[in-house]
Amino acid sequence: MDLLNALVALTNFVLIPAMTYGSQLALGALGVTMVYGILRFSNFAHGDTMAFGTMIVILFTWLFQSMGISLGPLPTALLAIPFGIAGTSLLLLGTDRVVYRFYRAQKAKPVIVVMVSLGVMFIYNGLTRFILGTNEQRFADGERFIIRAREFKEMTGLKEGLTFKTTQGLTIVTAIVVVIALFWFLNKTRTGKSMRAFSDNEDLALLSGINPERVVMVTWIIVAGLVTIAGTLYGLDKSYKPFTYFQLLLPIFAAAIVGGLGSPIGAIAGGFVIAFSEVAVTYAWKKVLVYALPESLEPESLVQLLATEYKFAVSFMILVIVLLVRPTGIFKGKSV
Amino acid sequence: MSNSPYDDHGNKDLSLGNAKGMGEIDTTKHSGPTHESAGEPFLIGANMTGGYGKHGPDILHDCTIAVEKGEIAVIVGPNGAGKSTAMKATFGMLNLRKGHVTLDGVDITGLTPQDRVARGMGFVPQNNNIFTSMTVEENLEMGAFLRTDDYRPIIEQVYDLFPILKEKRNQPAGELSGGQRQQVAVGRALMTQPKVLLLDEPTAGVSPIVMDELFDRIIEVARSGISILMVEQNAKQALDIADKGYVLVQGANAHTGTGKSLMADPEVRASFLGG
Repeated sequence: MDLLNALVALTNFVLIPAMTYGSQLALGALGVTMVYGILRFSNFAHGDTMAFGTMIVILFTWLFQSMGISLGPLPTALLAIPFGIAGTSLLLLGTDRVVYRFYRAQKAKPVIVVMVSLGVMFIYNGLTRFILGTNEQRFADGERFIIRAREFKEMTGLKEGLTFKTTQGLTIVTAIVVVIALFWFLNKTRTGKSMRAFSDNEDLALLSGINPERVVMVTWIIVAGLVTIAGTLYGLDKSYKPFTYFQLLLPIFAAAIVGGLGSPIGAIAGGFVIAFSEVAVTYAWKKVLVYALPESLEPESLVQLLATEYKFAVSFMILVIVLLVRPTGIFKGKSV
Repeated sequence: MSNSPYDDHGNKDLSLGNAKGMGEIDTTKHSGPTHESAGEPFLIGANMTGGYGKHGPDILHDCTIAVEKGEIAVIVGPNGAGKSTAMKATFGMLNLRKGHVTLDGVDITGLTPQDRVARGMGFVPQNNNIFTSMTVEENLEMGAFLRTDDYRPIIEQVYDLFPILKEKRNQPAGELSGGQRQQVAVGRALMTQPKVLLLDEPTAGVSPIVMDELFDRIIEVARSGISILMVEQNAKQALDIADKGYVLVQGANAHTGTGKSLMADPEVRASFLGG
């Protein structure tokens, strides 16, 4: 039994990756929840918006790299994020003007707009593939590790190594900053409160002098920000491929629904619930268990509940369970 | 409305979208021009004919509603007479085919409801008239959204008018009792410091004691110089405090007069006030 090594292995293979993935999902789910709460529909185009935003970040990163601009140890992509957000905002506001605004004027019910967003999804989908292609793209640069496995072993004298990638640290820190900023904005500023008021009661917000078109505009810009940041962090941490981003739609929606649609706190909680379950169910626990259990109980198999190919099944299972047991989600969202 | 291609086709799944709290007012419409129009009551909806939606049937037929400065006008009538509709028409929530609306010497027929708020009209709808998920104080703050000056003193005025709200200032408005909710709703509308306050059945669903209390407050508001146009189910009590009363039947003016004269009118008494 060697609990210290077990803990290090657990941190290295489960806690850190799940924290990182959870932060990425939380940012994505926050975007879904904002669109759901304020624009009143489940946005199927969310994953592809993410792919589009990240694509712009990648293009600007390459531009900066070719110009020799870099951030030293940090990825150049961080510099490109503001441009990505601007580009995505333009795309979203343009789509809103051309597509969603029409349905808003008709007072179209959510189910109609959801189908519309499905169409928008296909268009974004094609747009990204048309510009950047379907292949995997790499755009990470700078210092790769905060803690390297070998250095960690030398430092502590433990058998197990611990790696902590720059992108993982960056993801967690950025997510915390963004979430704090968003909550401050929604609860303390006039514009943020007007958005909550609009979400609560559209007509009354209008009669209080809140300009709905402005609320919609600010929402899209915030969503563009969340989506671009989440997408870039995911791409830096793992890799960028448009199809992967489309697939992210499922865990992101699962996170938003598990947490409670329309509840920002819920989106964050849901993101971590999904991420930890996905990682925990698809991780081969043998290594940790060998350290943690007495010799007589040591497992012979890999102790992997599901192969990693099935990780989306985990999101689905949690989604189904939550909808059966607690349809409003952990934090009492609006779906009943 | 169920024939609209944009309705939910029977799908009530809330995970698809947040249908609760959806508005009915067309927010994409823009205001038309206004022009001076002197010599009319402070607020008047004159000869209004029209209905909801672009092609909806007419609900109002040549209906006229007016209120003078600092007075209380009450609209009463049987169910389905178009009382609320008449009031909403003065607020621009209807497509008027005929007639015009004038406020303080300006013809505002072409204005959207939101622009009428900016011109000094306050409206308290019958239902969904508060932000349930926000605190009492946030409700009042939202009411003051149009104000660019310091709205603190106005909040204090509202708290003076409704002391219970000060006590509950940090509580979500959705957790309050029916009477308290109505106070939040009226308080929210007062935050813009309107010239005219439109109240759609402010006493619906509250107990008689709370109703008297609310009417007292409404009189107090009127005394401060704000005109009040009110739709009421409790016709007797409402006409008691009214300077002017309108009895509507099937979207048209049936009887008009001072509150007292209507109370004394045997025909009105027989048909609407229960003898």
